[in-house]
Amino acid sequence: MSLSKQLLNNKKALFGLAILVLVILIAVFAPLLTEYSPVKRVGRPHQAPSWEYWMGTTRLGHDVFSRLVYGARVSLAVGFGAGLLITVIGTILGIIAGYKGGVVDEVINFFTNMVLVVPNLPLLLVLAAFIGQASPLVIAVILGFTSWAWGVRVTRSETMSIRQRDFVKSAEMLGEPGWRIMAFEIFPNLISIVGINFIGSVIFAVITEATLEFLGLGDPNTVSWGIMLYNAQNSSALSVGAWWDLLAPCVALAVLGLGLALINFAIDEIANPRLRTGGMLGRWTRMVRLGEGKV
Amino acid sequence: MPLPKRLGSIVSLPLARRDQGWGDESPDFWAIHAISHPPHRGANTRPHGKETTQMAFLLRRLAFYLAAFLAAATINFFLPRLMPGDPIEMMFASAGSELSLENLNALKLTFGFVDAPLGQQYLTYLQSVFTGDLGRSIKYFPLPVTDLLGRALIWTVGLVGIATLVSFALGTFMGVMAAWRRGTKFDSIVSLSAIFSSSVPAVVVSLLVLFVFGYQLGWFPNGYAADPMLDPSFSWPYISGVIYHGTLPMLTLVIVLTGGFAVTMRNNMINLLGEDYIVMGRAKGLSDSRVMLWYAARNALLPTVSSFAIALGTVLGGSLVTEVVFNYPGLGNTLYQAILARDYPVIQGQLLIMTGAMLVANFGVDLSYVLLDPRLKKA
Repeated sequence: MSLSKQLLNNKKALFGLAILVLVILIAVFAPLLTEYSPVKRVGRPHQAPSWEYWMGTTRLGHDVFSRLVYGARVSLAVGFGAGLLITVIGTILGIIAGYKGGVVDEVINFFTNMVLVVPNLPLLLVLAAFIGQASPLVIAVILGFTSWAWGVRVTRSETMSIRQRDFVKSAEMLGEPGWRIMAFEIFPNLISIVGINFIGSVIFAVITEATLEFLGLGDPNTVSWGIMLYNAQNSSALSVGAWWDLLAPCVALAVLGLGLALINFAIDEIANPRLRTGGMLGRWTRMVRLGEGKV
Repeated sequence: MPLPKRLGSIVSLPLARRDQGWGDESPDFWAIHAISHPPHRGANTRPHGKETTQMAFLLRRLAFYLAAFLAAATINFFLPRLMPGDPIEMMFASAGSELSLENLNALKLTFGFVDAPLGQQYLTYLQSVFTGDLGRSIKYFPLPVTDLLGRALIWTVGLVGIATLVSFALGTFMGVMAAWRRGTKFDSIVSLSAIFSSSVPAVVVSLLVLFVFGYQLGWFPNGYAADPMLDPSFSWPYISGVIYHGTLPMLTLVIVLTGGFAVTMRNNMINLLGEDYIVMGRAKGLSDSRVMLWYAARNALLPTVSSFAIALGTVLGGSLVTEVVFNYPGLGNTLYQAILARDYPVIQGQLLIMTGAMLVANFGVDLSYVLLDPRLKKA
């Protein structure tokens, strides 16, 4: 069964995909969902949720709901953009290091390990601080170029075991060029690892973008969930009782993170059947237990 | 991992670890061979000399850490010089005209802004870094960066240290139980809550915890690390204040971290439960708890220890944010104030101090490896 078909049979994956699709639809159809502009003052400051303002207003009188639906665009764009960049860099370097071996591998591996031990967030803070008010695009790019190390490590070790297999050996015997073997013999066998790396990187990018913006390193004119958190924190939303201002982006981030994590967990279960909790294996385990007389 | 981890991942701990058996590509192998030769073509290239194995391993790791620290310092050095505009202007602009010429020159010297070729500037900067001079904070002039961050570091280390230990113990225990009872309701609940806790940003968790326990229920204070009316001392009123103020940030970190440890441990365990020696243990008629704890869990723990060091980056990241939300006087909050004031010497200093902390923790893990991994023991 193909990976996509198996994903559709997995309850966790379905639930995760449903959340993701919902967020994407909200982002795409944002203008249809709200009549208010996310950047204009549309009401009095800090009004509680009501029919008129579903999620209340911010201290500046912006509509929280419209900022939330437009903000989904930025979170998704940064998440998927940076996630793609991280995965592409990580996968290419990982396959090259694992397949070529020797000096190439040593160099790549050395830098990978180095990036892994320099703590990520402090490094990003320094980079973003010097760049100034980083736009979402800038944040996505610096995330992409600083966070690929984990992907290299996982891809490299998997490539190293695949390159021992017979089909790779025979392709080598047939005289296939190295790049072809890497792209058409090895890469298709890494799909589940690449998938996990990609979704994991998207989660990481969404979280980190929000974190950097919350810490005051983003461009305050952006409409994004991180900037919403930053503004809410700066206007002391909690201490003046305007909980809606802060809770809306919190819940949005939590739900998106959960959806993506469920998809990731499902891919992991499919790639590694022993990890499955339910389904066939669960039934099998129960049968064994039954046989052992301890249900 | 950035994962996490991404933050890390944030992805806190890697969800997918197929390579965690005792094979050649297990993470412990990675730790041992970080800079030596990887096992290409299936060759076993582990160090052979039994007497020198441990020392050689630790020395190689130390050399690697030195290189990594140098890399962080190099980033600090080149970053302001790569930005458009005058780097000196940029670094010290937030001081306005408050800095006297003499003080400004001293700061310039620390960061290598001397009238000399780039190479010499670089050496000047490295000299100040390796002699422990990270410059002075501009916001709190003339407080040295090392003093400012050192004072804050104590609170962070206390918070992060305890939170990590608690969540490691809790997560590992839950992971072991879930793996042992895989396929049951208990497993599903642990797995799902672990996924949830490791995919929700630390910012969100801390804000929710603050909202519920700090504002709605009002059980705990909303900020500071101790009773502001008391002077620091080893007296019960002061210490109880520290515990009282530390509860919510601690709770946040435990929520954020436990899930990652639980998933890693569960997946490690499940992969090990198929091994022959587990079957052997059961066949011998050993009790369930003995097989579970002494046969499976003990071996599943080793790869977890190495992911522990990588997870530390995420832990530090999470604590930065948590401290900001709870107004806790640790590194995170100090840094937040520095970012708002564009106090570049402090922002640069924290990278070096955090990297240093990561390296020390990694070295600690290396040392524990020497103790835990029989392959590195003297014959």
